[in-house]
Amino acid sequence: MIPTIDSARLVLRPFREATDFAPVAAFFASERSAFYGGPAPRPEAWRKFAVFSGHWMVRGYGPFALEEKASGAFVGLAGPWFPEGFPEPEITWMLCDGALGKGYATEAALRALRFGYEDLGWTTAVSSIVAENGPSLRVAERLGAVHEYDFQMGDVLLGVHRHRGPTALAEVAA
Amino acid sequence: MSGPVLETERLVLRPPKPQDFESYLGFITSDRAQYVGRVQTRLAAWKAFAVEAGHWSLHGYGPWVVTLKSTDRSLGQVGVWHPEGFPERELGWLIWAEAEGKGLAYEAAMAARDHDYRVYGTKTLVSYIEPDNARSIRLAERMGAVLDPAAEKADEIDFVYRHPGPEGAR
Repeated sequence: MIPTIDSARLVLRPFREATDFAPVAAFFASERSAFYGGPAPRPEAWRKFAVFSGHWMVRGYGPFALEEKASGAFVGLAGPWFPEGFPEPEITWMLCDGALGKGYATEAALRALRFGYEDLGWTTAVSSIVAENGPSLRVAERLGAVHEYDFQMGDVLLGVHRHRGPTALAEVAA
Repeated sequence: MSGPVLETERLVLRPPKPQDFESYLGFITSDRAQYVGRVQTRLAAWKAFAVEAGHWSLHGYGPWVVTLKSTDRSLGQVGVWHPEGFPERELGWLIWAEAEGKGLAYEAAMAARDHDYRVYGTKTLVSYIEPDNARSIRLAERMGAVLDPAAEKADEIDFVYRHPGPEGAR
């Protein structure tokens, strides 16, 4: 079962098709989705959406839907992510258009990182980011992640950024 | 994964598990999958597998994994699903090469169709089949499904076979 956790301004919860798919489809219709395998027509966007939930069933963990506490609106996703072929388990994030510029990605990724360390027992974690994805690179930087190596995924080159480990993260939070 | 489990004379139909992936990979990257979404890479196969698992998670139903009663090993996937872009609920079937020719797909698909009519109260189902997929067409016809030229197509698949409703299927 997919748990529900939260951060200061966000609820991290299981995906619901009725409320979450339309914003995800809108995201995958936008140019910004190029860093996430988009743009994609609606049926393909649904398949990407279904993988978020299916990931939990196949791996036992996966990304959470992000809900803004103040409005109840779905604003994106963040969480553990390890599709077949990735070099190691990672923390991913993605925000819908209206949710940018509020620090939500950093807040959600930090909470997801803690979930990885505290609930999944991870001892390390990375995030893979395309070099042209400036906003995500800045999130990784804010989280204290450091670029470590690159890997080729199909036709995209992903930079792998290593997050602070469990002890260092706890010290920062304290 | 939690979800309903069906039993037939020879088979168990259960929700997918992580360990079913390797046999799915073998099938979906093979020539046998040429009419049903064959992919080239492990990653694409994993994502297709996760899409089906995601359908289970989001909707509480989806394609079952088919096993013999004596073993938990996957021999294929049979069941009803309704992904975005499909105009109607579809009854689909995939059977690995090792399990072919024993009527297992028929046995599983009949049980899946009956379950859908009983549990969800659906009045009809379709199967989207490529015109060159002769084995699947034979199975659809054996189940009493007929080509429905008026039905809306899915994913540019040219044939829509319409199954008899709950009364006609008995």
